Amino acid sequence: MLYVNAEEYSVSRKMREDRIVNDQTAKRPAPVVHHLLAIAFGTILTIAVSLVVAASNSDDFWLAAGIGALCAAYPSVSLGAWIFVSNHTVTRDLRGEESVELIWMKQAASGAFLDVLIATLAVTVVLMIGRFDVDALPVLLILIGLSAADAGLRYLVSRYRAMR
Amino acid sequence: MRNNLAERRLDRQWTQADLARALGVSRQTVISIERGRFDPSLPLAFLIAQTFGCRIEDVFTSENTTLIHRP
Repeated sequence: MLYVNAEEYSVSRKMREDRIVNDQTAKRPAPVVHHLLAIAFGTILTIAVSLVVAASNSDDFWLAAGIGALCAAYPSVSLGAWIFVSNHTVTRDLRGEESVELIWMKQAASGAFLDVLIATLAVTVVLMIGRFDVDALPVLLILIGLSAADAGLRYLVSRYRAMR
Repeated sequence: MRNNLAERRLDRQWTQADLARALGVSRQTVISIERGRFDPSLPLAFLIAQTFGCRIEDVFTSENTTLIHRP
């Protein structure tokens, strides 16, 4: 390839170097032993969580342990995959902080925060005026679920608008 | 801001993925910049200009300025 000037040659060389660096972090299959480590890690963590849950409900030990294990299994194995497998299978951008996805995430998070704040204020006013008596736990769980769904939806909308 | 990033990229016969790799950002970032939906940060704009061997103002201009593409 012919280069017009030294600057263009330098840039092309830098691009080749960048490509070499990126090739080192490119997507490739993880070794089998890392998948096994992820499963082992997830299993141990699941058992640990289920034992803690069961210990706090000694009347229904096995039922509590089972429910604890069901709730903890997926997050535990996912954490194991993130620790042991994702280094091989996920391509990391060298300047990820400059990527548009971070902007979408920040927009989604700030928008969802405002939504939650407004929803909380509105519900609080309604409860105060109507003198309703409700349990806090289900309301808080619904609020957490809605805020997560809100942030996810806002991210998808930002992405759709930028990509169309 | 307007830009001629897509033209400059095509001049070099790079794909969006090639440019994204060279800049160290995601392909969606390149797509968003090319479509004018995302204004890059100053460091990224400098890097884009450096990658194409030109000045920032050769690639990016304000909406009401005519952009002249010199390959």
